[in-house]
Amino acid sequence: MTEMTIPIGPQHPLLKEPLSIELDVSGERVVGGRVNIGYVHRGIERLCQQRTYAQNTALVERICGICSHAHTTAYCQAVESLMGLAIPERAAYIRVLMCELERIHSHLLWLGVLAEAIGFTTIFMYAWRDREMILDMMEELSGGRIAHAANIVGGVRVDISPEQVELLLQRLRAFDEQMAFFRELIDRDRSFHRRTLGIGRVSLDMVHAYSMVGPPARASGCDVDLRRDAPYAAYSSLAFDVITADGGDVWSRAQVRLQETIQSVRLCQQVLQELPEGDLATRAPRRVAPGEAVARVESPRGELFYYVRSDGSDRPARVKMRTPTLPMLLALQYTLPGLETADVAAVIAGADLCIACADR
Amino acid sequence: MDIAIRLLQVLVFPGTLYLVAMALFLNWVDRKLVALWQGRVGPPPFQPLADLIKLLAKEDITTKGTPAVASALLPIAAMTCTMTASLFVPVGNDVIHSFQGDLIVALFLLSFPSLAYFLAGWITPSVYGVLGGNRALLQYFTYEVPMLLGMAIPAVYSRSWSIMTLVDAQHGYHWHLFVLPIGFVVALIGLIGKLERVPFDIPHAKSEIGAGPLTEYSGRKLALWRLTVMLQTLVGINLLVAVYLGGADRIWLQWGFLVYLAKVVVLMVGLAFIQVLYARLRIDQMAEIGWRLLVPLGLLQMVVTIWIGG
Repeated sequence: MTEMTIPIGPQHPLLKEPLSIELDVSGERVVGGRVNIGYVHRGIERLCQQRTYAQNTALVERICGICSHAHTTAYCQAVESLMGLAIPERAAYIRVLMCELERIHSHLLWLGVLAEAIGFTTIFMYAWRDREMILDMMEELSGGRIAHAANIVGGVRVDISPEQVELLLQRLRAFDEQMAFFRELIDRDRSFHRRTLGIGRVSLDMVHAYSMVGPPARASGCDVDLRRDAPYAAYSSLAFDVITADGGDVWSRAQVRLQETIQSVRLCQQVLQELPEGDLATRAPRRVAPGEAVARVESPRGELFYYVRSDGSDRPARVKMRTPTLPMLLALQYTLPGLETADVAAVIAGADLCIACADR
Repeated sequence: MDIAIRLLQVLVFPGTLYLVAMALFLNWVDRKLVALWQGRVGPPPFQPLADLIKLLAKEDITTKGTPAVASALLPIAAMTCTMTASLFVPVGNDVIHSFQGDLIVALFLLSFPSLAYFLAGWITPSVYGVLGGNRALLQYFTYEVPMLLGMAIPAVYSRSWSIMTLVDAQHGYHWHLFVLPIGFVVALIGLIGKLERVPFDIPHAKSEIGAGPLTEYSGRKLALWRLTVMLQTLVGINLLVAVYLGGADRIWLQWGFLVYLAKVVVLMVGLAFIQVLYARLRIDQMAEIGWRLLVPLGLLQMVVTIWIGG
């Protein structure tokens, strides 16, 4: 068979963000692949050093259009621990609510992208249609569908009225029924199975070797979730299950993500029912004493790590992030050889890459 | 006078003008229904025509390394073959030309566009085109045999290779569909493979190889390719209606046309429904379905047909 190189990206119908993958194929089989990133590098870490602590909240929110709230949560947590600030309980609950709504819409987005990659346009349309329900809720809560600006250093900016609580609970119930439909579909649809079951398998050893995190790690049997293992915000007082699977293939990832969505709905309902009264934020000082701090957050794609160092001024001396996509990209390069070219789409879409996060 | 009527038949009804209008209409039905079932709004009725006109007006680029003559001739040849095939396929009670063996000629002419489609990708320098062409050819070998089998079974059953005679043989609602259901299913799935619709849209799998063989085509050539696919859909459905669903059931002139129209639309609705139900298959999965399932089923139906002797 003749060998050729198929370029996927930087612009390609499969990719939602610029990323370049060069596939060496022999016939219909992939024999090698190279992943190149850096097309959306904006120098955000450097920009963070030129803005004040408060301004940076708005900046890190714009790193990514999907996990924007996870970024601000991690950043605020790091800065708050630098300042020795404790946020009010109500703020912690609202942070959880936004985090979980974001997880739901991110997972649905992923399901849609995967469905489109395997040519299942109907599921793509349904997933993105239902995702709108969540985006609407977030817009009503914060004023923004994607950039919510819900977090500020010291607490949150958005409040929830008792009427809103009732309304949200009602709509979450309706949404839960939709998710039951999706779960049944993933369980039973043969044509979905054919394109995802046993495809792009990642072993538990590989998860450890590449430090993979989040749903892909959990789908390979790695029982890790920061919400339970290192609770932040109000997670320690809420009940939820950590979902794992042991297939490690695209289908297991779909399973994990869908069941996590159902857990997230459960978390949202708990937050709304048990929402404590109190302030929304504690006042944060402008200047921060010299020191350094780290914060970890379970973003929709896995562990998001923030490091902030202060030199005593009103601007951070260094902000460093480590996003969950980075290990996924490394692992991807080694998953590609041996695949059918037709499965590459499912594997890349199944990896749930967030290039904007990885490039910053 | 006779020549004038003939010309009118070829150019207006049931020939070119009717076919193009009907093909555009079916394309709209397809797109609108799929959209509605997927929870979208869908295009207005004139969208397919507007798309076609827009494409015709757009700049026609021939990429470096593509033989210009071949890339211009292939879509024309594909469309010509499809239109020529339509001469023998009845529309309502009308058929332009009918003779013993026209079923074979029509099927042969209909298989040429698939080969042209493969060549169209093969001659471009784009890897997507080459890979898409490869897949188109592989797919051709998979669906063509079941489809030919499916179309041949009624001919064996009713002992005629003329489409019009086959329609007559089904007179009185003795549709071949009722006697030869397996043959119909095999032919229908073969047709879906030929039209490269979900779940067999492998040669132009967007998320894998862009637009496949048509990646490097634009403007008029792309418009011609699009129109060819729409015409193929119509002619394929017409053929199925004539061979399996009793054509116009020999009903009095205008009503006969309406009966035929209803059958065409019902088949299109069925095709659109299948479109929303499935994910795309891999080429090896398609080959498996074709050779392990459809061909044996078709052969079984053929053996039964010969045995019961029609």
